[in-house]
Amino acid sequence: MDLLNLQWEVIWNYRDMFIRGVGITLLLTLAGYCGGIVLGLMLGLGQVSTKKWIYWPCKIYVDLVRGTPMLVQLLIIHLALFPTIFGHSLGYLASGITTLVLNCAAYNAEIFRAGIQSIAKGQMEAARSLGLTHGQAMRKVILPQALRRMIPPLGNEFIALLKDSSLVMVIAAPDILYASKVIAGATFRPWEPYLFAAFLYLILTYTATKIIAFIEKRYSNSYIPRKAKGRLAR
Amino acid sequence: MIKIENLHKSFGELEVLKGIDYEIHEKQVVCVIGPSGSGKSTFLRCINLLEDITDGAIYIEKVKVNDPKTNINEIRAEVGMVFQQFNLFPHMNIIENVIMAPMQIRKMSRANAEALAHELLKKVGLDSKAYNYPEQLSGGQQQRVAIARALAMKPKAILFDEPTSALDPEMVKEVLEVMKNLALEGMTMIVVTHEMGFAREVGDRVVFMDGGYIVEEGTPDELFGNPRNDRTKAFLGKVL
Repeated sequence: MDLLNLQWEVIWNYRDMFIRGVGITLLLTLAGYCGGIVLGLMLGLGQVSTKKWIYWPCKIYVDLVRGTPMLVQLLIIHLALFPTIFGHSLGYLASGITTLVLNCAAYNAEIFRAGIQSIAKGQMEAARSLGLTHGQAMRKVILPQALRRMIPPLGNEFIALLKDSSLVMVIAAPDILYASKVIAGATFRPWEPYLFAAFLYLILTYTATKIIAFIEKRYSNSYIPRKAKGRLAR
Repeated sequence: MIKIENLHKSFGELEVLKGIDYEIHEKQVVCVIGPSGSGKSTFLRCINLLEDITDGAIYIEKVKVNDPKTNINEIRAEVGMVFQQFNLFPHMNIIENVIMAPMQIRKMSRANAEALAHELLKKVGLDSKAYNYPEQLSGGQQQRVAIARALAMKPKAILFDEPTSALDPEMVKEVLEVMKNLALEGMTMIVVTHEMGFAREVGDRVVFMDGGYIVEEGTPDELFGNPRNDRTKAFLGKVL
């Protein structure tokens, strides 16, 4: 370490930028993920629709977004789409969140589609045979079962999005990575800021992993609530 | 009450039902028997349109089921169905399984639906399991809950699709017992089954299907005692 002569006080001197960076990274990720869940659910349901005019647009959207780099999508939205529609750039938050939502939705759509299709056909038939509409059967019978199976892949998607959000650096969104780049440029010290950025991402993803594992544990294996299980044991 | 006219059903190139005409009257118990692949389950599933039909017509109380103007959900609410694999909803406990449809579709209050559910669960002998989950029940118990779930919609008829075929032998009897009691109460039932004893004892009419046709039909005494068709004779010779 003597060789690199690391001076960690550099990080302390620029702590305000890192604090802001963590805030921006979390804001972008959470907003992108929440939007991605809602839009992804709609796209996922669209992909299990038997109506062709619903299925095909959803399917094409998902394939297009999953088949192109997020960086390209981000630049198209920030530099081309928004300026063309609104006559000027809308700033990094609007472009960043829009890109993350649209991108995350495509990946979540696949998770929702696979989850819904993994539920045995008899469940839908039983629900429909009672007189439920397709929508009621989805809400009351299929989705509550499918959602449990989706928790692990939806968790992975959150962590992927958290890391991918660092791409917004290229449109000068002041996230964690952008802070590192600015500090590295100002101090001519690349090691400390970039290592510290990696460390911050690691802390965030580790925390997220732990939270997801907790949720998974709570909802996995059995449908029987713990209190009902206790009653049985006695 | 249920009238089937010239029913055809194909899965792609494969024609499974090749023109079925039949009428089921109120309070009748009709047992459908026949070898695997004879189309008997498909026939049953066409009645409430779980399979779209290729040609022909089905009327339930004079309403054409396969008319695009007919609201199929309203028809299905009137015709219960019990499946081979039970298909209870695993994320709901037993009483929730039973009250879900009456609350969703009949807009019954929770209190009324629960009272009805307890009554029906008593009837199938499982009220003590009301707050258990399906995975905690044996196959026979699950199937009895499935019958209670169908009854909760107060259906005019119930379709049974091989209700005892997925059960261990010692559980078959408890399910057949519940079905027999339903028949005695006057429920209109169409039962696809391999239980010849049940068909003989409880059935008002027995239908023998083979190769997508109704080959022979009659009272249990006629069909089991004096089958006229050679294919019926051959089939009964193997299973009885």
